Order: sequence, then C-alpha cells, then structure tokens
Amino acid sequence: MKTSSSTYQDTSIWRFFASVRLAVFLLITLAITSIVGTVIPQGESLQFYLETFGPNFFRIIKLLHLYDTYHSWWYLILLGLFSTNLVVCTLKRLPFTLKLYRRDNLSVDSGRLLKMPFKKEWEIKEELDNDSTQSIISAFKEVVGKFRERSDVDGGKLFLAERGKWSYWGVYGLHGSILIIFFGALVGLFLGFKGSVMLPEGEKIDQIVNRQSGEHIPLGFSVRCDRFYISFYDNGAPQEYRSDLTVLNDDKEVFHKSIVVNDPMEYRGVTFYQASYRAIPEVTVQVAKSATLHRSLTISAFQRALWPEEQLSFGLMQYQPNVHGKPAAQIWVGDQEGREGSFWLLKGNKKEFKKGENLYKISLTNAKQRYLTGLQVKKDPGVWIVWLGCTVLIVGFAIVFWVPHRRMWLWMGRRKGKITVILSGQTNKNKLQFEKDIKKIEKALDSSLGARQ
Amino acid sequence: MTFSSSYLFSLTTFIYLGAAALYLTHWIFRVQKVGLLATVVTVGGLVIQTVGLGLRWIESYQLGYGHAPLSNLYESMVFFSWITVLVYLIIEWQVKRRVIGAFATPFASLAMAYASFSPNVEDEIQPLIPALKSNWLIAHVVTCFLGYASFAVACGLGIMYLFKNRFSGASEGIIGVMPDCKVLDELMHQTIIFGFLWLTLGIITGAVWANDAWGTYWSWDPKETWSLITWFVYATALHARFVRGWAGRKIAYLSIVGFVAVMFTYFGVNFLLSGLHSYGAQ
Repeated sequence: MKTSSSTYQDTSIWRFFASVRLAVFLLITLAITSIVGTVIPQGESLQFYLETFGPNFFRIIKLLHLYDTYHSWWYLILLGLFSTNLVVCTLKRLPFTLKLYRRDNLSVDSGRLLKMPFKKEWEIKEELDNDSTQSIISAFKEVVGKFRERSDVDGGKLFLAERGKWSYWGVYGLHGSILIIFFGALVGLFLGFKGSVMLPEGEKIDQIVNRQSGEHIPLGFSVRCDRFYISFYDNGAPQEYRSDLTVLNDDKEVFHKSIVVNDPMEYRGVTFYQASYRAIPEVTVQVAKSATLHRSLTISAFQRALWPEEQLSFGLMQYQPNVHGKPAAQIWVGDQEGREGSFWLLKGNKKEFKKGENLYKISLTNAKQRYLTGLQVKKDPGVWIVWLGCTVLIVGFAIVFWVPHRRMWLWMGRRKGKITVILSGQTNKNKLQFEKDIKKIEKALDSSLGARQ
Repeated sequence: MTFSSSYLFSLTTFIYLGAAALYLTHWIFRVQKVGLLATVVTVGGLVIQTVGLGLRWIESYQLGYGHAPLSNLYESMVFFSWITVLVYLIIEWQVKRRVIGAFATPFASLAMAYASFSPNVEDEIQPLIPALKSNWLIAHVVTCFLGYASFAVACGLGIMYLFKNRFSGASEGIIGVMPDCKVLDELMHQTIIFGFLWLTLGIITGAVWANDAWGTYWSWDPKETWSLITWFVYATALHARFVRGWAGRKIAYLSIVGFVAVMFTYFGVNFLLSGLHSYGAQ
C-alpha cells in the first residue's frame, strides 16, 4: 500500500536530502572551507588582494568572494543545503517518531516482555493472595513511582512505568534550534543596522551612517556626548574608556548614562557601544584689535572659529603640546576677501598680524586635548530570536543525550499453565542507572517470591 | 622562595610530570600499586594547584587589580591543565581504569610545563584591559575550557582506541590491559558529548559577551571561526555514529582531528592569525 506521501519520500533526491551521510559531508565541508576565511584577511580592498596574492590567486579570490568568505555565494549555498538537510531529515523522521510516541506500551503480551533487554521471570507454585500481590506492587512502586495498569493482558495483570517518552522530541528541538538561529540572523540582517560614529565631546547626533550601505539612518532622537574619560593603570595599560551620554528627544533631555566597554546604552531598540576614541587638540586664543576691542576664541582641529564683526576666521593647522616646555599651535587666519596666512604661536608669546588696514595682536592663552568618542551603534531585532535558538539548542542537546525513555513492566498472571511474575524493562540511554533501579525491584521481588518457587 | 601562587604552580608542574610518568609506568609495567600512587599524586597535584589558583586570585586583589586568574595565556594554560586533570579524575573514578591516565595526564603536564618554562608566556599578574572587564569572562572561559579538557581526554581515548584496534589480537601486554574497543568507543562518545555541550555553551557565552562588548554576537573573527570549525568536527563525530561503517576507527580519527582543531583555536589563532582575541597571546 503506497500513499502519495510515501511516493515522494521514495525519490532518491528526497532520500539524499534526508540522509545523515549528507549531514556528515556538509559538516566536514563547512569545517574545511571555513578555514579559508581565517587564513585570507577578510574585508580588505580588492587592491590589497591583488598586491598581496598576485594576479593568478587574485582571480580565484575574486571569483569565490574569498575577501568576504562567510557571505560568499558558495558558503551561503552550503548553509542553505545544511538547512535543507535539517528540514528534510526532520520531515522524514516525524512519522516514525509520532508512531513511537503514540505507541501504547500497555499493549504487549508476556512473550514480548521476555524479549526485552532486561527480564526476570518467577514461576510460583501457589496462587498469589491479595497481600502478596500488594507487596509485589508496592516493591515495584517504591522504585518507579507513578505507573499505569491494565488488567486482562494476556491473561494477567500488567503494570507499566514509563518515563521520558517525550524525549523523542528533543532532537527536533536541537535541529530546529539551528534554523531558529539562522532565522534570527536573517531578521537582524534585514531589519537591523550597524554603524559607527565619532562624536566630539559636547556635540550630538541624530543620525548614523550604515556600515554596509553607507546610507544615513535617522535615529528619531539624538545622543549627546557630555564627556569622554580615559584612565590608565600604573603600567600604562588602559584601565577604562568611558563616555557620558545624554539622550535627547526634541531637544529635551530624556536620560543620562555613562557607557564603558561591556556596558552599552540602549534606547528604543538602538544600542550604543563604547568602541574607540580619538583626541583632537583645541586651543584658545586672545585676539585684540585695540585695548578695548578684543575677543577670546576657541579653535578646534578640523573646525573654524569666527569673529564675525571683524570678518575673521581662524583654524588650527598643527599643534605641538611641548615646544621648550610650552604648547605651540600653528594658526591659520583668513578674511572675507579670501586672503589668508598662517603663523606659529607659543603659549605666553604675542604675535601681530595684519588684515586689510587693521593690525591685530594674538596670543595663545590655553591649549588642551578634546576627545571624540567612537561609538558603535546597532539595532538588531533578531538578537532575541538568536538567544531563543541558543537556549533551545542547549535544552534540546541535554534531552537528546541525557533524558532516557525508560519502560519497566510488571506482569502477573498465568503463563503456560503456571502462575508467573515477569519483571522486564528497556531504556534507550543511561543503561547503568536503569539497571541499578530495576535490579532493586528484582531484589525485592526475589526476597518475597523466592520462597514460593 | 616564598609561599606564592607561582611557587605552587611550579610545584604542580613537577607533580603532574611525575604523575604522568607514574601512569605510564603503571600502564607499561602493569604494577597495580604504581597506579594507585599515580592517582594519589595526581589528586595531590590538583589540590596544590587549586590552592595556587585561589592564591593567585587573592594576589591579584592585593595588587589592586582584582580579577579571576583567567585573563591571559599563562593563566588560561594553568586553568586548562587544572580542568583537564579534574575531568580525567572524574572519568577514572567513574570507570575505574587507570590506564587512561597514561593518555590524559600528559596533556595537563605539558600545558603546565609550557606555561612555566616557555619564554613566550608572561606569567605576571596583569590588570584587566577594558574589553575583559565583564561578568561573562569567568562563564566564557570556564565553559570553553571544560570543553577543551574533555576533548583532550577524548583525544587520549581516540589514540588508545587506534592502538587497541591495530593490535586487536593482543589479550596481554600493554595493549591487553587497555579497555576493550567497545568500552573505549563508548567512553570516547560520552566524553565528546560532554565536551560538545561545554564547547557549545562556550561559543554561546562568547556570543552573548561579544554582543555586550562589540555590538555583534558573531563577527567571524578567527577565534570565533575556529571554535565553529571545532564544533563542526565534533558535530561530525556525533553524527558519524549513525552512518553505517563510521563507528569506531573513523570516530577515533575525528576525535584526534577535533583536538588538533581545539589546539589551533586555543594557540594557533593567537600566534598565527590576528583578530579580536589578541589578548590571548600575551
């Protein structure tokens, strides 16, 4: 009798995808091919590979995407095959497992009980009275706990203690967990983003740049870096990187948090990690046109400081923290007409410069390092799915390998004309513990039945 | 020499080397009493090493750093040898076969010897760099090393299996005293299951930690990738039992190949490849 389902299950392609052989082949192939990406540097520019490996090997690298091995077409095909193998294997085994799970282990006869891996038979001369029947059952119960019973089985009474039948489902959890993890990774890939930002102290951002696509992603709120701290141990090793962050919603402060490595900040599903830092110099200069008309200006690297009334702009070109014990800065000055010039200033010394008809005096009053904190920013709605998968993986693994399906039968009745008591049992794991337990029952029965044989 | 952790670790090194020699003697010359002595010496070494680990933890607090002794290559190797001996002793206690000791304790003594004598291994207590300051440090290192230690023992069992299988006719002599192939195969399988669970937990705790520290639970860093390669090898070994003709010898080979992958994950990545786990090389 062939059903439609068994026809497609008989095709060789189905059997191929359901086989453990394919699983073993894929695991070995994944193990070997994964080495490639640890030997060849990943994510470099194509130019780098051409220079490092030469034109011939470069062609292979380009063809097989070995610059990004784990996202290459062939690696994804392997992972796809791996997933298919898991799914098909599950579908193939499911009816078999269901049958095992639904099997009524009370529907046995005394002959089958005597074919179990563990069995013991007592033949008794006289009929068992109520008291001795009870004492046999209680000896059984003491070891097994809960049990089911059915009378009139093969002309006798049958007791069954069955444990861990559900453990047959463990393997589906274990295999399914891999698919759950893959699914979580895909959710993160399509619905999340990863980016980074260098944020100067005192400034805020409301968007970040996606690391992969390069597009700007608006956050919907802004984050300000109030301060960045770095501290060192006595031996010079870094002790802590810390950024004091403030989350702002429509320019209203929502909350503050100090983040360090290993302790990120999360807001509306977006997480900010302390990743790196940079120090940029910042100098303060005093510029005077006359005794009464002067201005103090702070100039940061990569930024302009303006004195709009005088139509002057200043920039910091170079900074030396220690010139003869004093900080020195090369200052750039420009005016409206596009004329510009630069000069070095040593702290404490005054310099004069001319712009148009005017003569200005300038001095360096202060110099310090200003920090930019490097934040890793990410949103990954799939991460909880991945953690769920990991949990299922561990629980499934423990069930598959350590939860046994144990069955212990006790049968009392007439067999081949003799009053007989049969104790038998089977387990699929941990035979040692099983034998210990069933021997305990055997011993108890021996002492109560031994005299009557 | 003062009573310090480094003194106790030097002592442990010699004790474990002695224990390995005793187990080998017990195996080759089949002297029961030497076997018992080997066990006693190993347990003694384990106790001294445990005290040493505790002392080193205390010393790190006295230096003002205050962290578990699991932060660099030296400490990880001491821990590897400690946990390998522990896992082996549990197996010895369970199966009551001391011959296995001749194939398991050498891993522990070699790890200690390398940690103590190699000029490449810095044995001073160093402060924790920011990346390692996490509660996940202990969970991650302990789970990974339980895996590594089990795989070391499984590798020893694999070597024994191949010996025994090669000279299966011998019922006496140094091969004869080894447990039967069937017993070795089952033991190897159980040890791999145990190690596989811990390796999986090690990878997961690593992923959770990486997600906290770097913002991504998997970044294909060489150490991560090699731990996955190792995972693939042992997953193969676990599935191979269901393929006809794969039990026994092929799984013994896989157990050895798997341990090579473990060693590469542990050392090779640190010394030969660069990546996020670079602090492991110091």
